[in-house]
Amino acid sequence: MNRYLYLLILCFLGPVKTAMANDALIIVANTPDASIQLTRQQVRNLFMGGALSYDLNAVALPPENHTRVLFNTKVVGLTESRIQSYWAQMRFTGRKKAPKEINNEQQVLEYLKTHQGSIGYLPAGMPLPDELTVVYQIN
Amino acid sequence: MTYFFRPALTAFIILSSYACFANAQTEDKLQFSGFARLIMGYLDDSNAEYAGYDNSISLGEQSLLGLQADYQFSDTISLTSQLVGHTNERRESGLEWLYVTYKPNKAFQVKLGKQRLPFFNYSDSLDVGFAYPWLTLPKQFYETSFFSTFEGLLANYEFPVSVLLINLEGYWGYYDDDIYSPDGGVETKVTGLFGFNTSVTWKNWNARASYNQGNTELTLLSASQFGEQLRQVGFERSADWLDPDGLIQFYQFSVNYEDLNYFLRSEIAKMEGESGPVPDIDSFYVSVGYNFYPYTVYLSYSKRNLYYNHPENEIPFGVSDQLNALAGGYVAVTNGFLDDKSAGTKIGIRWDWRSNVALKAEATHIDADEKISGDFTLRDLGNFDGSAILYQLGLEWVF
Repeated sequence: MNRYLYLLILCFLGPVKTAMANDALIIVANTPDASIQLTRQQVRNLFMGGALSYDLNAVALPPENHTRVLFNTKVVGLTESRIQSYWAQMRFTGRKKAPKEINNEQQVLEYLKTHQGSIGYLPAGMPLPDELTVVYQIN
Repeated sequence: MTYFFRPALTAFIILSSYACFANAQTEDKLQFSGFARLIMGYLDDSNAEYAGYDNSISLGEQSLLGLQADYQFSDTISLTSQLVGHTNERRESGLEWLYVTYKPNKAFQVKLGKQRLPFFNYSDSLDVGFAYPWLTLPKQFYETSFFSTFEGLLANYEFPVSVLLINLEGYWGYYDDDIYSPDGGVETKVTGLFGFNTSVTWKNWNARASYNQGNTELTLLSASQFGEQLRQVGFERSADWLDPDGLIQFYQFSVNYEDLNYFLRSEIAKMEGESGPVPDIDSFYVSVGYNFYPYTVYLSYSKRNLYYNHPENEIPFGVSDQLNALAGGYVAVTNGFLDDKSAGTKIGIRWDWRSNVALKAEATHIDADEKISGDFTLRDLGNFDGSAILYQLGLEWVF
């Protein structure tokens, strides 16, 4: 009886665990220094146009993209509308420019591969080429 | 409906002139962007006017169109111009920004040219309604700065220290243009204009402090002429008080918090005017909001206390008819500079319909002294009891 109960629990847990894996994010950089590890605050600053000790150029996904929504929620900690209003203020006061937007995750991966110093966010589990480094991960 | 044509005409001229330029350039080097506001307002009181709104529905007070062109000369040097067409006839349409930026790295940049003054958090983005949650910025606070642009140099440096992100900014320049008054423009020169501000960001918190000052020369002909008359008969102190020229200083401090669900925005400022006709102003606002994407609701309270340092009358009454007339004139003139206290309480909602379009609705209750100067946002049209509500609907667009 316990075996059946265990299987039943696994059946319920299975999809939950899969969903969690799908929601995990990796922050990936094309940098010659593979030892770089960033904190969540550093990643947030970088994608909000802030200065960082490392010379990295952020790229982003479009506003409707699911991975971007996860990134906003888990790393930046702001709603999409607040992020858009922040960038409007930055752009029209000449302070900062929003990260370059790239259509989808596959194109982000291609861009990162070919642009040294670039950094972007991707779903965890996406196969990465050797030249890219995971600098931060969040589940 | 003429207020629709002015920004449209401005936009047409800008786009036409830039189009010729754009043809010769690569797409990457030249970029266009813009912002627009369509704001409707109605004041529930026929005895007052607030922010230009009266007891009739109006679209012509805050609606505007702004266009920006950025041209990248090289990796480090760019040129930016921004033109704004206002529907409000009291606000001058035309060039708001025109500057060259030198940005050798992400941390440091210098801008040279015509720019917006960074007195307060939103001083340099007053016209970009999409950038802030309110439909109308808290007027009791943001009307403190009488001029909003300057020509000169602005430098900015940002750097991380442990878990903090620190931003330092300084500027230096001058202002030479009219400042708005309900009675018309006042010719103003501000020299030795400089300021610096620093902001510190830690997690979801941000604090900012700034100091700004400038030597102002206001063209207030009647005050100057009367002052000269007083000086000739030896009433130096009274004449000095009426001299509108002098130092103006601004102090500002703000604390902001925001996360996925809530935000807090607060700002406090003090303006000190050295000369008699320039008042001292204490002002602040506190706003709290709740996000339930794509909506944001907010509550806001702002207050301003504007006061003049009225001197004692040194001109004696009852000595001669001539002195009586002079003393009477002096009292009448100085009494014209009325202290002015007002508060604004807002409730509003913002709906981010698209990633670049937001719709807003807001009600602002204005609570003022029964006796107001009428020199600022709030005007008594006769028998105003000091209380009114402004209802507004707005569309904010960036492109």
